[in-house]
Amino acid sequence: MEQARTAPHALAPTSTGLDNRKLLMWLFLASECLFFGGLIGTYLLYRNRSVGPPFPTNTVYNGVHYHGVFDIPFTSISAFVLLMSSVSMVLALAAIQRNNRRALRMWLLCTAFLGMTFLAGQAFEFTEFYRAGLTVHSNLFGTTFFVLTGFHGAHVSVGVLILLSLYVMASRGKITHENSLNIELAGLYWHFVDVVWIVIFTVVYLIQPT
Amino acid sequence: MLALLDVLLSAPGPKGFFQNPAYLLGIPLVALGVLGALLALSPVELRWPQPVAATPAEEEVEIIVEGYVPASTYLTVGLILAGITALEVAVYYIGALHGALLGILLTLSTLKFAMVALWFMHLRYDSRIFTILFAGGMALVVALLAVVLATLGSSLV
Repeated sequence: MEQARTAPHALAPTSTGLDNRKLLMWLFLASECLFFGGLIGTYLLYRNRSVGPPFPTNTVYNGVHYHGVFDIPFTSISAFVLLMSSVSMVLALAAIQRNNRRALRMWLLCTAFLGMTFLAGQAFEFTEFYRAGLTVHSNLFGTTFFVLTGFHGAHVSVGVLILLSLYVMASRGKITHENSLNIELAGLYWHFVDVVWIVIFTVVYLIQPT
Repeated sequence: MLALLDVLLSAPGPKGFFQNPAYLLGIPLVALGVLGALLALSPVELRWPQPVAATPAEEEVEIIVEGYVPASTYLTVGLILAGITALEVAVYYIGALHGALLGILLTLSTLKFAMVALWFMHLRYDSRIFTILFAGGMALVVALLAVVLATLGSSLV
């Protein structure tokens, strides 16, 4: 059963005409840009300056050949999973904007599941690196890599908790078409985490020093 | 925290399936996700205590609201993003393109970044103030990276 309705006015009753919570979220994301920018900059600054193994890619060091620790096919799948979680997140928003609460719950759980799959992949990757001898204090690569990707993983974990909380709220009937901004704000955070990984995947994993 | 991680990961000897911390962490997470997805897709409704009594009629009503982006647009953008990711990985493995790898990958990555920000984060449809805020943050990051890397003598390659 469908019912036509006019679009809600975008203007909020504030001096800017924008919802304060949304404005705050964008300010937060702008500050997060600088946070991750600093971490990515540090990684780039110390790239290729490790004085001992393990190395990210196949490297000849002091006449000895070392296999790189990066597994590009595996990380590509992780990147794909996180990208698809952004699609399911935006579909959750589209669902509640049409007041389809069942679809909202389904897409929220789907997004949380994809996020958890990404985290499981990251835990697996970290373990493999550790077994290859790479720790946070083994060399400059280990320190900068684990700090950067670890902080990103922490952000994904927070996002998963937010999604599961929203699922519980939606199941209790507390999320409706009228307060769909809650989903939109969570979505903004989730998509930001995704775009950060787009940058990390390219700059850290795919682009390697020649 | 790091010491705890070291203790967890430094068990001697070859590690079996259930001794691998990645599996110990990953399996419950994945299982929780699968359980949630099954519950969401099943016809059985989980009934939490309802603070506000909603009539069944209200629950069923699907609203058509003009001005919102249709789900088909998001799916199209998602498919394009998946294609670009596949292209990135393919380019990485094509030896003949290694000379232009940096340029190609940065272009594709920027394209993906822009598509997510414009469509999924709604910058294309929303107030320009949000775009200015986000672009301002990004501009500061690019300036920071350019200055730090140029000053301290590192580069992307």
